[in-house]
Amino acid sequence: MSELEDNSAGAVSIFMGNVRNRGKFGNVLEIYYEAYGEMAEVKLREIESEVKTKWNIKKLVAIHRIGNLKVGETSIIIGVCSEHRHEAFEACKYVINNVKTRVPIWKKEMSEESQMWTDGILLE
Amino acid sequence: MRSDIPVNYNLKVRLFAILRDVVGEREITITVPSGVTVSYLNDEILKKYPQLRSFSNKFVTSVNCKVTNGDTIITSSDEIALLPPVSGG
Repeated sequence: MSELEDNSAGAVSIFMGNVRNRGKFGNVLEIYYEAYGEMAEVKLREIESEVKTKWNIKKLVAIHRIGNLKVGETSIIIGVCSEHRHEAFEACKYVINNVKTRVPIWKKEMSEESQMWTDGILLE
Repeated sequence: MRSDIPVNYNLKVRLFAILRDVVGEREITITVPSGVTVSYLNDEILKKYPQLRSFSNKFVTSVNCKVTNGDTIITSSDEIALLPPVSGG
């Protein structure tokens, strides 16, 4: 949270994505996240730059965890602070929507019965 | 030595997620002549790893962290990766 401190910002919007106990293939025990790290960094910087062009944002933090995460654990956290709430809400939504469609990260749902890669969105 | 004679070189290709599981390797090596396109490389990959054929329209090829189309020319120093549909978040 200290990374989002800014005395000129009156609004802080935070999005956290957690591992759900139900997935596309049934009950989930944990999710294995894998990333193409170098490209993910490039894409996250690209998204950050777009956000700063679109809205008057003071600070932005986006962290995606990789590896095995259990149900209830946080896989992604996005924080944005801005002068007013509208920009913070909109920017936060933009970041999570674009992380899901543009950043090379994959998840495998692990249950007692199976381990299945989740189908997703083909990068453009 | 004439410079227009094609020279073969080994290209390393990184695999991720389901593609890595299917092949069983994080990185594969494909021998290609110089000046080939992404399409050519993909065809060579599918010849060498036929288990990937059922995924041929389910991955894109990145060159130096950029998604490419088939016409992109590859050089020996490029970093290539095959990327299945993403599902982060």
